[in-house]
Amino acid sequence: MTVSSFWRNFLCCAAFFLTASSLLRSETIPPRPSRYFNDYAGVVSATRAAQLNHKLAEYERESSNQIVVAVFPTMTSESSIEDYTVRVAQAWAVGQKDKKNGAVLFVFLKEHRMYIQVGYGLEPVLTDATCSSIINRVIKPRFRANDFGGGLSAGVDAMISASRGEYKGSGFTHGEGRKGRFSSIGSTIVFFVLFLVFSGLFGRSRQRRVWGGSRHMGGWGRSGGFGGFGGFGGGGGGGSSRSNDTFSGGGGSFGGGGAGGSW
Amino acid sequence: MKTVLITLGVIAALVAVLALYAAGSYNGLVNKQQAVDAQWAQVQNVYQRRADLIPNLVSTVSGAANFEKSTLTEVTAARASVGQVKIDPSKAPSDAAQLAEFDRAQGRLSSALSRLLVVSERYPDLKATANFQSLQSQLEGTENRISVERGRFNDVVQAYNSALRRFPTVLFAGMFGFQQRAYFAATPGAERPPEVKFDFGGKK
Repeated sequence: MTVSSFWRNFLCCAAFFLTASSLLRSETIPPRPSRYFNDYAGVVSATRAAQLNHKLAEYERESSNQIVVAVFPTMTSESSIEDYTVRVAQAWAVGQKDKKNGAVLFVFLKEHRMYIQVGYGLEPVLTDATCSSIINRVIKPRFRANDFGGGLSAGVDAMISASRGEYKGSGFTHGEGRKGRFSSIGSTIVFFVLFLVFSGLFGRSRQRRVWGGSRHMGGWGRSGGFGGFGGFGGGGGGGSSRSNDTFSGGGGSFGGGGAGGSW
Repeated sequence: MKTVLITLGVIAALVAVLALYAAGSYNGLVNKQQAVDAQWAQVQNVYQRRADLIPNLVSTVSGAANFEKSTLTEVTAARASVGQVKIDPSKAPSDAAQLAEFDRAQGRLSSALSRLLVVSERYPDLKATANFQSLQSQLEGTENRISVERGRFNDVVQAYNSALRRFPTVLFAGMFGFQQRAYFAATPGAERPPEVKFDFGGKK
């Protein structure tokens, strides 16, 4: 009796996973981009792409908002554009983790369609109506005139001006900030190991005292503001990567906000 | 004597390991259940967002000259029937019939809204107003949000339900009152109504 119900459950689960995986197989989620402005279809001149990429990187330093543009030759999915793009934006983790302040402008050339996906944290400023008007009034007329560079550039400007002021930036992109945090963790570990070694050396002769003085140790740990040294590391790392403006998703998430259109 | 002590020690160790394992999987279930309830709140949130758009939509549309009244009353009636479905907003339902009832009421509202937007197609003056265009894009976005949050709800429910069914968790999960949670049915009429694409000629 229980055996048969176990097998039934097992088969149910197996069927569920099989259908789920076969549904997912029909599309490919593109890998995370390394730049803010990604022209995979080659419709924008290299200088303009670099200039837009730099603008978006600077915008993240200023506001912490991550705006990414991705131009694809075609859509590699059978689901609808709004479904597919929300999965891609989520997989790319655009936006900071705590603020969820990312937005992605997707363009699919063959389908003549575009979509702005807005992360939860930017929904109040990049509302569906705002995105719709950016798509239909700003980008669409230029795309129709085959001016992709101009359309994307004006679209980026409109997205920036709509979302400016919602959050304050740290002066670093997520990638630059992370380097800083890593080195501060590194220095904390180094100091912790040194601390252990020293306490081991001094404590060996009078172990009782050290155990008794555990409150004292706690004091040490708390006053260990050695993380301050990490700040230098962050600054250095930021300075070196400032010139290449690489994008690194901060862990933002998306709930289907935004709007789309075709041209 | 010695062997007895060793056996007792081994048994005690086994019991301790089992207890630790049970505590670990209990905590895992609690986390998964919390995730389900949090996602349920998110689902409620997006449905509420849609309900909140309706008064504005109704007043905008009824402002248009001689707008077809029947579609408007249909929308307001569907919205009222959604409000009558008694469902706990803080805890995802474990009763599939209750979730299905909620789903049916929301589905009625979806189709009433899509009919309203189809009818509004016949009123070019209305369609040209900025207010209506903004409402239209908000409704579209809200339908997308609903479909996203429903999909994620089903994902977390699936993770929770399969954790609940797994051996040996299945042996004690019932004891602590963990119940299976219901899924949203993936019927095309309820989840992604084809008309609610709002793909009007003007957008092409």
